[in-house]
Amino acid sequence: MTRVFANGLRVHLLQLLRSPFDIVAMLVWPIIFASIAYYLIGTDANTRVLFTASLGAAMMMMWSQVIVGSGFALDQQRNQGTLELLVAAPVPLVTVIAPIMIASAAFGIYGLVVTLAWGRFAFGIPISIDQPAAFVLAVVAAILAIGLLGMIAASLFVLSRAASYLGVALQYPVYLASGLLVPLAILPAWLGPISWILAPTWGYRALIHAADGQSAWPQIGMCLLLSAAYVLVALPCLAWFERLARERATLRLS
Amino acid sequence: MFRRRSIEVTALSDVSFAVEPGELFGLLGPNGAGKTTSIKILTTLLLPSSGSARVLGHDPASEPTKVRPLIGYVFGGDRGLYDRLSAHDNLSYFADVYRVPARQKGRRINELLDVVGLRGRERERVETFSRGMRQRLHIARGLLHDPPVLFLDEPTIGLDPVGARELRETVSALRDAGKTILLTTHYMYEADELCGRVAVINGGRIVAEGTPASLKAGIADRTTIEIQASGVDEPLVAGIRALRGVSSVVVEEGEEAQTLFVQSSLGAQLIQPLVSLLAGVSVTAVTAREPTLEDAYVALVETT
Repeated sequence: MTRVFANGLRVHLLQLLRSPFDIVAMLVWPIIFASIAYYLIGTDANTRVLFTASLGAAMMMMWSQVIVGSGFALDQQRNQGTLELLVAAPVPLVTVIAPIMIASAAFGIYGLVVTLAWGRFAFGIPISIDQPAAFVLAVVAAILAIGLLGMIAASLFVLSRAASYLGVALQYPVYLASGLLVPLAILPAWLGPISWILAPTWGYRALIHAADGQSAWPQIGMCLLLSAAYVLVALPCLAWFERLARERATLRLS
Repeated sequence: MFRRRSIEVTALSDVSFAVEPGELFGLLGPNGAGKTTSIKILTTLLLPSSGSARVLGHDPASEPTKVRPLIGYVFGGDRGLYDRLSAHDNLSYFADVYRVPARQKGRRINELLDVVGLRGRERERVETFSRGMRQRLHIARGLLHDPPVLFLDEPTIGLDPVGARELRETVSALRDAGKTILLTTHYMYEADELCGRVAVINGGRIVAEGTPASLKAGIADRTTIEIQASGVDEPLVAGIRALRGVSSVVVEEGEEAQTLFVQSSLGAQLIQPLVSLLAGVSVTAVTAREPTLEDAYVALVETT
């Protein structure tokens, strides 16, 4: 099982790294996201506030990469006929779908680096991380949690022939509900509980805390806890949507 | 107003056939006849709305996890592979996905690269491969876990004649090695060469089943007259159909000429009335021959 997962991660990362479209998109998206965030806050704001905004932009990148990237990846698998072969394989579907999500989230590291570099060189925002080790762990925990949150959506992607469109549609609700685009404090109170069950909320907070020198362990812990919860939700969802896809003949485009 | 209208199509109806262990069984039929639907039900990829199937005693609908390790599924065309990865990376990943034990993986991949003649090319990306090479890689992928049952869905479609012949040799070797194979194909000579028994499926129903020889025997009283011509139009074809003794007429449109296949119980006696009827068009060759499996297939599909 571990071998399937590890090799799957390698295969899907290679697929992404060898796709000129994905490479260019990942270069352009962070620049756009980061620029919007900086201009929204005001380029004359405190550099610490701007750095925090750039971490939010990086987290948005990571979520976009998971939800849109994996939607496209599933559509591509459906189009190239490999989705059928993965579904017809003897291993549980989760072991072949999870690596697609985690690879997409890990590819988001590239977005994090580009976002921070763009902020540094275009807007002069210093990259200041007080606890580098905790920051790296926060990134890893965020990747895992965001990737596994994407897996719940991926169960729907297995069924739908319009996975990439669904992925695009799911971007902004999570940006908003996680407080990445605007602070949660200015949003309706009922969004609070929703934000608690979303991995980007805790991933973002973990990055900020590690960068500011505060303890990031509670936020990292929440990422790991949510990861486990997402797996528990994703497993029955995948089984249910796989059965529906077999009923409705949607595992292949034609 | 925005409600999507769904159309229900019965893809298969009353289809029943059995494939014996070690047998190479052919499922023949025109596009949309239900061949791929049958294979997808048997490979656990589709759930039938009614009826049942068994693969080595297991139900693909309710016991997919028991069926999947026992089967290999190979389809035609250039899909089913990760193009941006090398052939070796593709096989390595699918070996893990199909639970090939780690200790056997490397040896198994090398064995199969030898079987399909891709040894030495395994580090190249699949996107640089010809269609024939992709198809052979596809076969290797389907055999990684050494399944006792193989489903080959039009494996030679789109291959050049040499590639198709090589692939037929591979399939023939698999049959000789004792694999149970269900093959779908449009190419009747392929079915005739490879299959012990065939079933002809049309409109979701099986219209004939037996050995290729028995299907041919069903039209043994007929002769096929092949006419190379150009300028044959629909009214003229209708005129040929109306001739006494003609049981079927099929026109194949080539780039420069048309080929008419006229089946008749009158044998060579029909040549003279045919030539008279075709007096106004250019005819370059007329030959009469014994019926082939393709003739039997055409007769079955046309009459059902």
